Amino acid sequence: MGDKVWLPFPVLLLAAVPPVLLPGAASFTPSLDSDFTFTLPAGQKECFYQPMPLKASLEIEYQVLDGAGLDIDFHLASPEGKTLVFEQRKSDGVHTVETEVGDYMFCFDNTFSTISEKVIFFELILDNMGEQEQEQEDWKKYITGTDMLDMKLEDILESINSIKSRLSKSGHIQTLLRAFEARDRNIQESNFDRVNFWSMVNLVVMVVVSAIQVYMLKNLFEDKRKSRT
Amino acid sequence: MGLSALLLLALCAASSRALYFHIGETEKRCFIEEIPDETMVIGNYRTQMWDKQKEVFLPSTPGLGMHVEVKDPDGKVVLSRQYGSEGRFTFTSHTPGDHQICLHSNSTKMTLFAGGRLRVHLDIQVGEHANNYPEIAAKDKLTELQLRARQLLDQVEQIQKEQDYQRYREERFRLTSESTNQRVLWWSIAQTVILILTGIWQMRHLKSFFEAKKLV
Repeated sequence: MGDKVWLPFPVLLLAAVPPVLLPGAASFTPSLDSDFTFTLPAGQKECFYQPMPLKASLEIEYQVLDGAGLDIDFHLASPEGKTLVFEQRKSDGVHTVETEVGDYMFCFDNTFSTISEKVIFFELILDNMGEQEQEQEDWKKYITGTDMLDMKLEDILESINSIKSRLSKSGHIQTLLRAFEARDRNIQESNFDRVNFWSMVNLVVMVVVSAIQVYMLKNLFEDKRKSRT
Repeated sequence: MGLSALLLLALCAASSRALYFHIGETEKRCFIEEIPDETMVIGNYRTQMWDKQKEVFLPSTPGLGMHVEVKDPDGKVVLSRQYGSEGRFTFTSHTPGDHQICLHSNSTKMTLFAGGRLRVHLDIQVGEHANNYPEIAAKDKLTELQLRARQLLDQVEQIQKEQDYQRYREERFRLTSESTNQRVLWWSIAQTVILILTGIWQMRHLKSFFEAKKLV
């Protein structure tokens, strides 16, 4: 009782909270894979930062889903500011880097385009972050009871882990396919709009031009008659 | 007690691993999530303000809030709430499609960040990634094997939902393609017919005009 006095208040509060609620409360533990889709307006540049530990692996994959030429400039910089990747006017790309400690910055640049905004999808896959073991250890605190099989439990757990990683891979491939499909669909829809619009314009222009032609010819002859008499 | 402090430290260290970006005071950042229906999405964010004097980002910012707005594919607002400088928002989709998640700070006082930079750490989890397995284990009293089997089941269910949504999108895609194809065909035929008709009308009209003016 007496030795609790010197503890700061937040730690006391944390100790008071039942351990079950801890993983979800307060700060969040971000997952190792995340993907984002956002709209980049014309003439703008947006940068994102990802803190990394030593000797982890950072894989970034991006794709332009919508917007005029479907291209964007991409720039990846190390925590010291050194440019690791610089790509111009590409529509998709994949890059993997072995990391050092610090914040990696990657930027999408749409400054070359003056009127079209781009929809960009990017996915970050982080490996060897050193937190996965902790996650599995944490689970041991929250389970109740034991499974009846003892000797073969490790084998079962191993095959479950392998299934889990393969399913994650399936999930990743799905995300990729979804991005491809979204891009193709956007292309198609813009084709559709274009066909409609230009056909209408074509029709109007044709009719107007032929009317003007007839009118002008008529005018030509009318004036001549008048000047004669 | 030492364990609690360590855990707190571990949690803080872990939360600093999220992706972050900088936004200005009145700037709004939007992210698009294309998700199937009946899918839960959980977003976690943490904000840090730039302290001009110390030239660092303050670890926490009392009094600063972020406004989160989520719109469903039809443009209807699903969630529009204000949270503190650190928060967590959740919503479940009822229609499949592009949901837009927008964040902007609620700061009206210009003095709050005169430097104009706010660092936002963001993490968005969709579907089975949003499940909190330790919580599920404690609530349903599961053994380790049961918990892992439950996770696999959730993963497979999410993949299956995505596949169903993929079928629906492919159908829409195919309808648009076929409609475009048809329209190209019909417009070309219509154009040719109109061209021919206009030519005939022109010639006839001019001929009758010339005949009337006694030139032919």
